[in-house]
Amino acid sequence: MIQKLLNIDRRWIFLFIFVGVAAAMLFPLPLPIRPSSDVKNVYNTIESIKGKPNATVLLSFDYGPGSEPELQPTAISIIRQCFRNNIKVVGMALWPDAVGLAQAAFDSVSRAEGKEYGKDWTFLGYKTGSVTLILNMGEDFHGAFNVDYRGNKTSEMPVTQHIAKLGSFDYVVTLAAGKTIDGVWVTYAVDRYRIKLGGATTAVTSPDMFPYLQSGQLNGLVSGLAGAAEYETLVKTQGSATRGMQPQSAAHLIIIISIIIGNTMYFVQRRRDRRQSVSGNEETRS
Amino acid sequence: MIFFKRTLPLVIAFVMGIVAISIYYIPHQAAVDLNDLLSKWDRIIAAFAAFLGVYSLLYLHAGRLKRRQAGWGYSVFVYLGFVVMLTAAIYNNGAGPLVALRKGGAYDWLYTNVFVAADASMFAILSFFIASAAYRTFRARTTEATILLVAAVIVMLGRVPIGALLWESMPELQQWLMNVPNMAAKRGILLGVYLGAVATALRIIFGIERSYLGGDE
Repeated sequence: MIQKLLNIDRRWIFLFIFVGVAAAMLFPLPLPIRPSSDVKNVYNTIESIKGKPNATVLLSFDYGPGSEPELQPTAISIIRQCFRNNIKVVGMALWPDAVGLAQAAFDSVSRAEGKEYGKDWTFLGYKTGSVTLILNMGEDFHGAFNVDYRGNKTSEMPVTQHIAKLGSFDYVVTLAAGKTIDGVWVTYAVDRYRIKLGGATTAVTSPDMFPYLQSGQLNGLVSGLAGAAEYETLVKTQGSATRGMQPQSAAHLIIIISIIIGNTMYFVQRRRDRRQSVSGNEETRS
Repeated sequence: MIFFKRTLPLVIAFVMGIVAISIYYIPHQAAVDLNDLLSKWDRIIAAFAAFLGVYSLLYLHAGRLKRRQAGWGYSVFVYLGFVVMLTAAIYNNGAGPLVALRKGGAYDWLYTNVFVAADASMFAILSFFIASAAYRTFRARTTEATILLVAAVIVMLGRVPIGALLWESMPELQQWLMNVPNMAAKRGILLGVYLGAVATALRIIFGIERSYLGGDE
């Protein structure tokens, strides 16, 4: 019986996960979402620049569709917070497949908040180079991006005409699925051009970011779907991340229960094996 | 020929490596301008690398198709996806390839309804495999494995609201694990990684590491 349970067909586990996640989506329970200090730091930094003339935030979309469920809600919440506080937002992408996601986020929020393209926000699109693009932006923003994604001159648009270099932005937030936070933004933009940087990342990469949080090179971090849900709580808008907390909680619980059952079976089996080997030894001696 | 195959690339790597490092520490406008110029060159070269990537991918799958290798059907989809997306991008909803991508066209539709959906689904499938792997392999066999297991359970619970519902201090405990033991371990790993990166960069600049030249070098 125990051997059978230890070698259970993996499709049963898949079924448990499916049923658990589906049940949590169909019958959601209200769960408390408490924003962590790292998430609050990003939120508070944006709040602190409201009212400042020409306050502008740069959002870098450095992720692809695979990380969309985790990072898109944060992008939407940050854009929403900026627009509600009349802070200008400039979007760019270090990943080519992020272009469509960035446009979707900007389009939906700007429509809802009644913000105008070119005046309140713009999207610069994707450019190659990552590190060298940041170095170019650090020296001459209009040289690095002379036109936006739609072909408008950045030196003429109200949203970007006052931006001379990377340091002109009041805050930079990178939404990253890969190594762009530490490999690009922290190393080149923060250390060289002394910008204030916040990050949003997938849950799987967030443990790598803690050394930069402690050193202050990263002033805040929105980590995974849970972080996105915390940010939605702060901006007081329930979005896909908040709704995603129920199925994610269910999935985590099922995984933990699986670990407990798996380990219980393992120890019972180990005990039996030991007893059998002891009794076998005694029989041999007698 | 050896001059073009070996000597010239080594000289270029040495000169560009020394220049790129030096200008970082020279607080003069000329150094800043040179840095700006070199970064623009780098971006142009990087853009051409995309063509090489496409060529390499299509070449690899053409070989699989020719040999009717196992799973060659997937290679058909690679070509199909490439041709369809490229055609949609060039057509650009009737505006042509020289202007910014128009909304609402075939490319936009394919991106949202095929690419985004397929990519997100692929990652979603991971949750099933993680559960199965956790059940089968995550065992408290040794003291170290037990510590790892307990830490993993705390982090998994502390990261979701249900953790706070089960025990109020779970999120704080999770945060402490991330801020102290995790951070200390990560810092050690990162120091090792970056010292290794510096050593490799110096080996390339001084021509000790030559594997990037290809062949027998």
